[in-house]
Amino acid sequence: MKPILVRVAGLVLAAAYASLIVWVYARQPRTVRQLTGGMAVNFEEGLRFFRNDQFMEARAAFERADPAHQDALTQFYVAYSFYRQGWGRVYRDDALFRLGLEAVDRAIAHAPGGRLVVSDGNLGMHTADELRAELQRGAQRSMSDFNPMKVFEPRK
Amino acid sequence: MNTGSSAVRESFVLPLVFLTVAAAGGLRLAADGVSLRFVPPPLIALVLAVLLLGVMARAGLLLPSGLVGDHRTGLENVSGAVVLLALFAASAQLFTCLTPDAGMLRLLFNLFFVFLLWNTLAAQPDRARLLRSLVVVFGWAYVIRYIALAALADPQGGWTRRIVAALLEGASAGPLAGEPMAPLAGYVAFATVALYMVGLVLLPRARPVEAVAIVTRAPDALE
Repeated sequence: MKPILVRVAGLVLAAAYASLIVWVYARQPRTVRQLTGGMAVNFEEGLRFFRNDQFMEARAAFERADPAHQDALTQFYVAYSFYRQGWGRVYRDDALFRLGLEAVDRAIAHAPGGRLVVSDGNLGMHTADELRAELQRGAQRSMSDFNPMKVFEPRK
Repeated sequence: MNTGSSAVRESFVLPLVFLTVAAAGGLRLAADGVSLRFVPPPLIALVLAVLLLGVMARAGLLLPSGLVGDHRTGLENVSGAVVLLALFAASAQLFTCLTPDAGMLRLLFNLFFVFLLWNTLAAQPDRARLLRSLVVVFGWAYVIRYIALAALADPQGGWTRRIVAALLEGASAGPLAGEPMAPLAGYVAFATVALYMVGLVLLPRARPVEAVAIVTRAPDALE
């Protein structure tokens, strides 16, 4: 093989390898599964269940995607699934909202600078702060719980 | 040196070895055995890498003119520059690998590296001596971080933990906190250091000075 071809092939390989390393460092996978791409498949599956209002199935898929509970986006959707499952027109499930609060706190803890914005048109709340506040309001008991106008509030 | 094997080494072996070290040097495996993260090199690691490359060039271990220069073609120069960049990245990440991530120990490790490299720079060792010196420096840093400090953080560290705690008793003002890490982390770090040293050994050497034939002629022949 000609040395010139060897050098060109080596340069291409080195560039591809360096790009892969930079991509891994920029993306910061938290588990080996995330690193090898297993996360993406499970996350997409979880998202599909979430959009079909199959929240328990969605959480099972999100758990597979992020077993270490260290991916901010996955934990955001886990929290959102607790919110939507616990939301009722006349009643909010405090236990589910509290689990949602725990999940959204994990999402905030692992988001860069504690700020997480999710641009998903299917959602009514796009930041972890909004979701946290909504979950907190839902988990608290107050006089506003008896406001009959609450039945007209939409699910976010 | 055979041109073909030299091209393979410069284009494939050295970049891949050093880029692998650069990738693995920042890998941190948590004690739970599941979590991992990739730490980019801190600024001090970049400074240490520059210092280390300077020491290598001074000792003849790294020959920049053998990798980049007017006597080489453009493609060869690009190839050589890739080796230099990969070596720089690997050196920076090796320091990241061997230095604790935070606390007083991080400062101590960095000072230790700066003084040792400065001292080595002043001593002007040759290629073989510098290689031996680097094995000792990196070897000790590895032992302290991945054996001693890991044992301190391990509640079931057994005799290793007791011995390290006894040795460090009185050496610090307060209790010295170890660094909890997965058992696999030590093996990855060992392979990273070993691979880096292999890469250094494979760096191109200076060509032996070619014999110069001096022909003298008898004075009478000049007339």
